[in-house]
Amino acid sequence: MKVKVLGTGLTKFGEAWDKSLLDLAQQASLEAINDSQLSISQIEAVFVANMIHGKLTGQDHLGALVTSSLGLKCASFRVEAACASGGVAVHLGLQSLLAGTYKNVLVVGIEKMTDAATSKISMSLMGAGSDQERKAGLTFPALYALMAKAHMQKFGTTRNHLAAVAVKNHYHASLNEKAQFPFEVTEDRVLASPIIASPFTLFDASPITDGAAACVLSSETRGAGVFITGSAVASDTVDLSSRKSLTEIAATKQAAKQALAQAGIDLTDIKVAEVHDCFTIAEILAMEDLGFCEKGMGGEFVQKGTTKLGGKLPVNTSGGLKACGHPVAATGVKQIIEVTHQLQKRAGKRQVNGANVGLTHNVGGSGATVVIHILQS
Amino acid sequence: MSSPVQIWRQHKQLNKYLGKEGKLIVWTKIFVAPEGFEHQTPYIVGIVDFGDKRMPLQIVDCEEDNLTINQKVKIVIRKIGKVRAEDVIEYGSKAKPI
Repeated sequence: MKVKVLGTGLTKFGEAWDKSLLDLAQQASLEAINDSQLSISQIEAVFVANMIHGKLTGQDHLGALVTSSLGLKCASFRVEAACASGGVAVHLGLQSLLAGTYKNVLVVGIEKMTDAATSKISMSLMGAGSDQERKAGLTFPALYALMAKAHMQKFGTTRNHLAAVAVKNHYHASLNEKAQFPFEVTEDRVLASPIIASPFTLFDASPITDGAAACVLSSETRGAGVFITGSAVASDTVDLSSRKSLTEIAATKQAAKQALAQAGIDLTDIKVAEVHDCFTIAEILAMEDLGFCEKGMGGEFVQKGTTKLGGKLPVNTSGGLKACGHPVAATGVKQIIEVTHQLQKRAGKRQVNGANVGLTHNVGGSGATVVIHILQS
Repeated sequence: MSSPVQIWRQHKQLNKYLGKEGKLIVWTKIFVAPEGFEHQTPYIVGIVDFGDKRMPLQIVDCEEDNLTINQKVKIVIRKIGKVRAEDVIEYGSKAKPI
């Protein structure tokens, strides 16, 4: 498997009150096409990732809407897989290239979330949960809080371990001008922020974000560049309580194993990773389930600085979902962009020295969908 | 919000679980609620293990300080969320400590 990332485009993440969903989609898409050095007419298909815009506004049919707004009349697809929509759209775009159907495709993830009230966003996001979870009044912070409590009970993970994820990712975001929260926070500030769902405080959670991320993928693989060499998607039950374990995301293990095998590399070859830290516990689970540390040791692994810039394995150099922001369907594409920039040595102050192999990990719901990509230069 | 026919269909299933006893294995106290649950905050939701299956349920008639891991609970029927005066009231399963 080999597909080249030809171009990338990314809006500033945050509260874009002066921009519509289409404004954001066009900005990121045109930037990616321009970066690819292709002409727009060479784009043969557009994969549009979006989760909740239809629910919030009544506007669906986003594949054709975005594609036509770019002046294109080519094939268009809307992809939805909750917070993994972006990663799944990249996977599908890549499959269409490998199948030989197209030679150049555009993948764009978009979400416009800050126009709606928090309670409406919370209920809309719960579309990624089960009916029983919605009837219980659960939210996504609460679902991950249940996983955090189970992890604390079983492995002795502490609030300080959780806070270490937020502190690290805010530090990385402070070096990223596209981040929603480009500033550092202290452990005390994380711990003292208001409780949203025990044991989580506000600073354990990723924010509500507007943003778009786009990339042009190509089956033309001659010459140097960044290549996607592994791409795998795995599924599990949508309902968290139905799973065998509350302290692991099994789909992460399955997708990672497949993607690494496709790329023909070992985990130890990975030099940089963007993982799905929608809540602090999610990054701890990702470290363990991907195999970067032993089960139960994820909190300590992050706390001792292994995954901070300058450490052995920098993780979420963009600031992650936690501090770069989480426009849900854009996130999976943004992860591809961050790792691409790292491999192209375009990451500026966030550059990881010697980065030549990277991994992205994008999760939908509480772990029902996981997408892993491996990128190599 | 569920439609009247969805509620009718779901209500026919309620006695399947009513009175069933299980163990509370983990819980969280929610302070920021989704639409329709704002009036209940803060409220507790846990995962209850019934042996043959596990379910997420609101835990009612208790204070968080009195809850313990593996505490015995049983299913009761309670109103779900908040509806307008002209809507059908939806009932569902919640759990209370025994």
